[in-house]
Amino acid sequence: MSAVSSSGWLYGAIQSRRNRGLGGLYLVVAAFLVLYVVLFPGILSVGGFSKFTQNWFPLALVTMAQALLMLNGGITLAIGPLVSLGAVIAATTMGGVFGVPGGILAVALTGLGIGAVIGVIVAQLRLPAIIVTLAGSFIITGVALLLLPRPGGFIPGWLSTGLAGHTPVAFLLLVLILLLWKVFLATPLGLGIYAAGDNPIGAFRSGVPVERVKIAAFALSGLLTALAGLFVAAQTGSGDPVIGAPFTLNSIAAAVLGGVGFLGGKGTMRGAVCGSLLLSVMINVMFFLGFPPVAQYIAQGLIIVGAVAVPELLKQWRARR
Amino acid sequence: MTDKKPLLEARQVFKGFFGNPVLKGVDIALHPGRVHALLGENGAGKSTLINLLSGALQPDSGAIAVDGRPVGRFSPATARAAGIAVVQQELSLTADLSIAENIGLGAFPRRFGLIDYAALHRGVREVCAMVGLTEPLDMPVADLALGRRQMVEIAKALFRKPRVLILDEPTSSLSAHEAGILAGVIEMLRDRGTALLYISHRLNEVQALCAHVTVLKDGGVTADQSLSGIDGEGLVRLMVGRETGDLFPPRPACTPGAPRVDVTGFSAGLVRDIAFSARAGEIVGIGGLVGQGQEDLLLGLYGAIPAKASSAEVSGKSGLPADVGAANAAGLVYVPADRKHEGLVLPHSIASNLILPSLGRLARNGFRDRPAETGLIADLARRLTIKGDVARPVQALSGGNQQKVALAKWLPLDPSVLLLNDPTRGVDIETKREIYLMLRAFAAEGRLIILASSDTPELVHLCDRVVVLREGHVAATLVGDAISEEAIVGAAMGVDRKGAAA
Repeated sequence: MSAVSSSGWLYGAIQSRRNRGLGGLYLVVAAFLVLYVVLFPGILSVGGFSKFTQNWFPLALVTMAQALLMLNGGITLAIGPLVSLGAVIAATTMGGVFGVPGGILAVALTGLGIGAVIGVIVAQLRLPAIIVTLAGSFIITGVALLLLPRPGGFIPGWLSTGLAGHTPVAFLLLVLILLLWKVFLATPLGLGIYAAGDNPIGAFRSGVPVERVKIAAFALSGLLTALAGLFVAAQTGSGDPVIGAPFTLNSIAAAVLGGVGFLGGKGTMRGAVCGSLLLSVMINVMFFLGFPPVAQYIAQGLIIVGAVAVPELLKQWRARR
Repeated sequence: MTDKKPLLEARQVFKGFFGNPVLKGVDIALHPGRVHALLGENGAGKSTLINLLSGALQPDSGAIAVDGRPVGRFSPATARAAGIAVVQQELSLTADLSIAENIGLGAFPRRFGLIDYAALHRGVREVCAMVGLTEPLDMPVADLALGRRQMVEIAKALFRKPRVLILDEPTSSLSAHEAGILAGVIEMLRDRGTALLYISHRLNEVQALCAHVTVLKDGGVTADQSLSGIDGEGLVRLMVGRETGDLFPPRPACTPGAPRVDVTGFSAGLVRDIAFSARAGEIVGIGGLVGQGQEDLLLGLYGAIPAKASSAEVSGKSGLPADVGAANAAGLVYVPADRKHEGLVLPHSIASNLILPSLGRLARNGFRDRPAETGLIADLARRLTIKGDVARPVQALSGGNQQKVALAKWLPLDPSVLLLNDPTRGVDIETKREIYLMLRAFAAEGRLIILASSDTPELVHLCDRVVVLREGHVAATLVGDAISEEAIVGAAMGVDRKGAAA
């Protein structure tokens, strides 16, 4: 009982409960990582590990951005275009008077601002998120193409080397972002995202400002997405107005792989990040094993359907027994 | 006692929805240190009154007063600030969050902007001890049984340290043991000076716990008095008795024909092991409080939900219909209560809704037979007095006329058994009369009508026989002169009627 009276007990117990049901996912991720190491031992060197995490990093960020909204009962189809816009703004502002800090600030504010505007439209006008973000994705793509019709722009070399060189900076940034998420989830606003996603009427009656929570979720999601774009620009050394396109569906796929439900309130951020790691490793393994691109797509689709269907089939099988 | 100021009052509140008055000048005053009971039949306006008292709705006229002062704009937020907490019938919990997080939701103790889990732990432990929740506080609510979730809901209200606590049917999903704990908590809060409003259909609980009662009937107050010196039958009398005028067609002497439905040991959904039989030419009413298994009885007979019976004969065939197709083939049809979602395709025309079940039969060589369809539609529209252009979308019709379409579409199948679920809910008086006449005519043609209804007068004046369900069992079967509003409501609420056994 002494554990019960210590002040940290409740928080710790709740945190460890959140791993429940993720054991299978952890095992699959570990198995794929082992396969990866066996196939390419180079990943164990600092340089190999850095490269690997740099490939994973933007997908991890957009998956968090997507999972944040799915936990709140929403979804966004504007991930890809917003990654592109983030990359374009980084590449067009970093050569300006305010330099790199100005560029980072511009990207962050753009992401927050676009997310907040989408959030206001969804929450206050009560329009379906899937339609609003679909419309938003066209507009954002248009703006990115206006700003930078052809790939180009300027990213300082030292930034590219710093973020995407032979050091695991990207991995450390991801750890930092995950820690910030944990802090956020320990605020009333953070838990409100879960509550408003699972049972909006109940959350409203309990005093959760459901609309404000939704707007905050969209704004944070936009911020993470735009920062992923900044990283992609640093990785490639320039801005490309359509580079983000594959991220939209991959972010949904990774979140689903990680056990995040479509109806809100179900799933965990740690699961979603694991899902993005799994997807990233799968793509790499298939690429290195020499799968033709067509086979990669089909395999990826089958694995995602399987990931959703297997737990459901297991549940039905258990219910029958 | 009476010199104390009421903490929360409604003064002459009126409230209507879409032109239907629901509350017509209701007064209620909740005093500190008193448990106040609110009673009334389904649809008497209890839920609306609770919503007004908790700020979820605004009155059309009249006022809500806190501490004797009328409040201008009463919202859920101002209600909470005034110390008013409500335990609703539907739960307000988040399945994936822990018990502790659910209890604190919306009222978290904070430190530096973060949730103070240590303080939350202390506060939650205290209220959980009060309601006897011994589960680990980090357990997700999804892992709890319904009754335990209800206790979490009650703990959540207590966590806010309310001055006024409104409990809407708090014991409907609780075990006897849990209900006993709740009764203890209510008495403790009363002694501490909390004002309590207690809504329940269990009259023995009301009589054990409450000191004062307000009875609502059709949106008006029929009693506002001390509970001492009034018994269960007296309370039931205050809840029932409406003027019905010539709404109902005369009931002819019933001459039932062959058995059409005969089941024993029948279980489906909430219905547990009942015996039920009905004959051709009868109108059999299924009554009871909301959600006692009425819908499951109909759906089980219709093959729409899994059902089992120790012996069953339905429409001349032995055994229950395996699925809806088999039920239709055997001559059973079902008209759902939620006609907008389950009964009709709203944006489609009246005509296409009417022929939907007959499309397959009317086809010729796999193609639709337009002339036959047109003839059938005209015939149905005439028989059901559906006026106007049948090309209009169904959603343009009034609720009553929509219901007539939902009913009419089955007639071409020449059904021998009609299962109707609350067919007159939200239907205007005039159309109600037409529907009643129609049902009588169907019965006279030798069809069997099984009618689940939440409208007690309808059961009394339309049905030849009424079966009252309570917690999935048959609480009473009433025939002929024994059918009365008092008998139905009394059986539904589990009142022991003196002399009813004779």
